[in-house]
Amino acid sequence: MNSIAIAGLLPVALFLVIALVIAVFARRQAAAGGGGFVTEYFIGNRSLGPFVLAMTTIATYGSVSSFVGGPGQAWSIGWGWVYMATVQVTALFLLYGILGKKMALVSRRLGAVTVIDVIRERYQSNALAVLSAAILVLFFATTMIAQFVGGAKLFEAVTGYSYVMGLAIFGIAVILFTTIGGFRGVAFTDALCGIAMIVGIVVLAGGILSAGGGYANIMDTIATNHPEMMEPLSGGNMPIGLYFTQWLLVGVFTFCLPQSVVRTMSYKDTKSLHRAMIWGTVICGAMMIGVTALGVLSAGVLTGNLADYGGSVDNIIPTAIVQSLPPWLAGIAIIGPIAASISTVSSLLIASSSAIIKDLWLHHVQAKGERAPENTVVRASQVVTFVIGAVVFVLSIVPPDVIWKINMFAFGGLETAFCWVLVGGLFWKRASKAGALLSMGGGTLAYCVAMALGFKIAGLHQITIGITVALVLMIVGSLVGKPTDRKALEAFFPES
Amino acid sequence: MFTYKQKHEQANREAIATVVALVVTIVVWIACGFGLAGLDITLFHTPLWVIGGTIGTWICSIVVVVVLAKKVFVGFDLDDENDVSDSEGGVCHE
Repeated sequence: MNSIAIAGLLPVALFLVIALVIAVFARRQAAAGGGGFVTEYFIGNRSLGPFVLAMTTIATYGSVSSFVGGPGQAWSIGWGWVYMATVQVTALFLLYGILGKKMALVSRRLGAVTVIDVIRERYQSNALAVLSAAILVLFFATTMIAQFVGGAKLFEAVTGYSYVMGLAIFGIAVILFTTIGGFRGVAFTDALCGIAMIVGIVVLAGGILSAGGGYANIMDTIATNHPEMMEPLSGGNMPIGLYFTQWLLVGVFTFCLPQSVVRTMSYKDTKSLHRAMIWGTVICGAMMIGVTALGVLSAGVLTGNLADYGGSVDNIIPTAIVQSLPPWLAGIAIIGPIAASISTVSSLLIASSSAIIKDLWLHHVQAKGERAPENTVVRASQVVTFVIGAVVFVLSIVPPDVIWKINMFAFGGLETAFCWVLVGGLFWKRASKAGALLSMGGGTLAYCVAMALGFKIAGLHQITIGITVALVLMIVGSLVGKPTDRKALEAFFPES
Repeated sequence: MFTYKQKHEQANREAIATVVALVVTIVVWIACGFGLAGLDITLFHTPLWVIGGTIGTWICSIVVVVVLAKKVFVGFDLDDENDVSDSEGGVCHE
């Protein structure tokens, strides 16, 4: 161990300690706030203000692939990839504008704590709730692993410490602060992570610009070496069809990702939502455009072939950090992607735990006409959160391949599963149990099979197949099946 | 003061306005990106379509959300006040 390695480790360690302190603070604040444990632990007592709401949504959405995989692609494709990444400016306003108020109204009326609570009540179906929970936990688990792997690989590449050590340091920290702080702790640490992500981007931008001899110099180097990187279609590397499907995958349909939707059940008042929408769009746009642009600019510094950088675009950003920054600044720069990784993991972890505790176990207990003692619920919630985290952690030690693909698989799968079930549930009275079950089950199956077989229509990403099949099944199933009981619809479509 | 039903009607209007905002953003994204790609103009060593398609779209999205938040969206109490109106008239909760 030498001073360089320590310099690389110190900022991350400090950052994680602050996150833990924030989680403990959130726990204290929660204890003082009153309210039931489940509502507090899984949704922070619906108390988020505008800043925390915006930051927790951005930090959940912005993952390690936004920091590593995406900019790596931009290094190879050029400005077209940044142009594509820009579609993410719509993510927050679509979520808040389309679902924000409906979910807040309905969940308060029903006393719902999870997205699955709302789905169960809307469609009056336990089978649908169980299917939702299974899909959610499965895809969240693969995403969490991808996030851990991405963060740990980057840590290893930049600091020189082992992969397992990196994983242990921030993996244990994130599991602990999520278990201790619950949803409120996750939201507060997300705000910290959001700030860390911005700091990371700014530091790395400084490094790349100075290593490349300034912006103008870098741009001229790229234009000379790779003129196609200055074209939107990147000499055929960036076809129109890819733009189209990325619009669907990382733009339009992100608003129905359950880890985002749960945030619309957790804010304090409409003023918070309106402000979060403005500030969130400003920050999200700057962050996603900024970080992806860094990938392009690193092509002015890392001018070799892909083979020179280990044959994977995922190595570009770690290499750029190491080559363009002194060790102590590199240590600060890696907080960005690590914050992106742990803020996504913490949100998925608490949501997975809520699916198991609230949607499966507590519902089962209540259905039998029993009540679980408060102490048991408190202990079980924390134990389940911790155990899911531990399982994901262990699975991440022997890493599966390619962050980008796993993450995108889960992303599209969750969108396919939840999109029409949520949109139909909130906006179409006729949407029924049969339609929802078919849409979620059939759509997700179609998407996964098409992905696994590599089957595409017109060369387009399989999200087009998943989302279309899910829509058709929702409409057909709802029109053919029995409509939902009028009484159950009152909270969703009030008649008076 | 809004009834629960009126709040839902307002939320539906806002959802539709949000979809309109999406369409506006998509049109601006196409116009300022692909639309400008044919021009051989660079500013600060950067092709104009890059600036338009990325920063231009970002600014457009900010304008769009400010219009939504200030002009279209309406603030109301998210908690139910159905029972307030008939039995506890005049009593202010919270």
